[in-house]
Amino acid sequence: MSARLGHENVVIGSLAQIGRCGLFLLRILSAVPRSFQHVRETVRQLWFVGAMSLTIIMTCGLFIGMVLGLQLYHVLSIFGGTSATGSVVALAVYRELGPVVTALLFAGRAGTSVTAEIGLMRATDQIAAMEMMAVDPIAYVVAPRFLAGLIAMPLLCCVFCGLSIFGGHLVAVDWLGVDNGTFWSNMTANVNVWDDVINGLIWKSLVFGAVISLIAVFQGYTTPPTSEGVAYATTRTVVASSIAILALDFVLTAFLM
Amino acid sequence: MSQRKSYAAGTGLFIVLGFAALVYLATQTTSVVNSHQGASYTVEAQFANVGQLKERAPVKVAGVRVGQVQSITLLPGKDVAQVRLSIDRKFDQVPADSTAVIYTSGLLGDQYVGLQFGNAKSYLADGGHLVLTKSTQPLEEMLGKFFGAGGTADAFGGSYKVNAHFTNVGTLSVGAPVRMAGVAIGSVSDVKADPVKLDATVTMLINGKYNQIPDDSAAAIFTSGLIGSQYVAIQPGGSPNSLKDGDQLVLTQSAMQLEDLIGKFLVNGSSSGNNAGGNGSSNQPAGKH
Repeated sequence: MSARLGHENVVIGSLAQIGRCGLFLLRILSAVPRSFQHVRETVRQLWFVGAMSLTIIMTCGLFIGMVLGLQLYHVLSIFGGTSATGSVVALAVYRELGPVVTALLFAGRAGTSVTAEIGLMRATDQIAAMEMMAVDPIAYVVAPRFLAGLIAMPLLCCVFCGLSIFGGHLVAVDWLGVDNGTFWSNMTANVNVWDDVINGLIWKSLVFGAVISLIAVFQGYTTPPTSEGVAYATTRTVVASSIAILALDFVLTAFLM
Repeated sequence: MSQRKSYAAGTGLFIVLGFAALVYLATQTTSVVNSHQGASYTVEAQFANVGQLKERAPVKVAGVRVGQVQSITLLPGKDVAQVRLSIDRKFDQVPADSTAVIYTSGLLGDQYVGLQFGNAKSYLADGGHLVLTKSTQPLEEMLGKFFGAGGTADAFGGSYKVNAHFTNVGTLSVGAPVRMAGVAIGSVSDVKADPVKLDATVTMLINGKYNQIPDDSAAAIFTSGLIGSQYVAIQPGGSPNSLKDGDQLVLTQSAMQLEDLIGKFLVNGSSSGNNAGGNGSSNQPAGKH
């Protein structure tokens, strides 16, 4: 009996969470015009969530590209099709791995810190203080971080994909001996700028950026004002973002294909 | 203030880097590369079959890309494909008697047009014609040539069915060729034992092209070579009427069994199989000594 009740509470609880999250998105969007008064804050957040994430994104992109090149070379050599390595690396990275891995890393690197920062502001009553000083915390704290995540994600994803191609080239051409011209000409023959780069890479990473930023600021803003609450909120950001990214990835792929 | 400046510059750098990566990915790793082309001239070539050749497929000389396929159209009134090739202005010294060949890059790759240089002193100009072309070789055709059977084109009339009764079909199997004058004209579609007549009924599918075979022709089961597979040979008769779908070949000659032949040869055909068998068994111990 109590277990059934618990289940219902979980379902209703998560539904309510999603509903509050949606309403919060509307609040953020309505505060975006006002947040343009604090452009400098947006730039500072962009520096923090975007530029500071570059190192990890570039490193991971390089390794993803390298491992893709290695794996694909060995699988494709079974069929005598190693010349397709370049195009398959590019297609896999543009369509799936680039946006998804960048988003997962972004959630771990930037989403958590945004949640923790806003959560601590909440716990230490800084947000309440802002409200008392008639500074809208949504416009001053939340919206700049949301916008920064939205802008940073596609840019990070592009850098990630570039480094992945470079890593794939490093392994396939410089190490395993696929012909350089074949690698590039196969890639340029099979990758379509509209389907793969714009639809695959830009749209997906924009949506992922919006979702991660929304979850991060929402969890931070609504955290219980205790140190334990901040810890839980940070964890929930990572878990919820990861699930949302992977689920949305499927939905987006189905729609954008 | 200085700290603020540093992150502003860093952020700017980040944005520039991100957009640079996007521009690089979009322009250098996608098909946009191929659509960009400089001054070029157009030549025409006609192919009997362009296979899977697509527009914008590369044109190569010695494996180096010199241009691309501009358009593929059907020559009006003919079953010939007209292919327009736009070749880069840089490569303006293509001999006029060059051969255009459609190749496939790799086993599963895309098709492209390869130019094999001729010896002429004059060069191709804009609007020129490549007279010598080689079409694609469809895989089925090549396999057909390789296996000796499918080289001929199927008649659109399809094929018709003919039955024949044999007392012994030997090892004739479904799919075995039906030959007339040594040329395959059809295949065996069914081999069944007749439950009433107690012999074998062989159904043959004969190509509709060969519709002038006299209806009193004989069917014989032969072996190609000493240990080859068996086939049905049609030996034409003299009747003015020709075979039609569902007809039966009355005159048949069954498969020769090697054992029968040897038996006939050894004992002049009159002795029974028992004797030959006895010989065989009596030989065995001798062989063991």
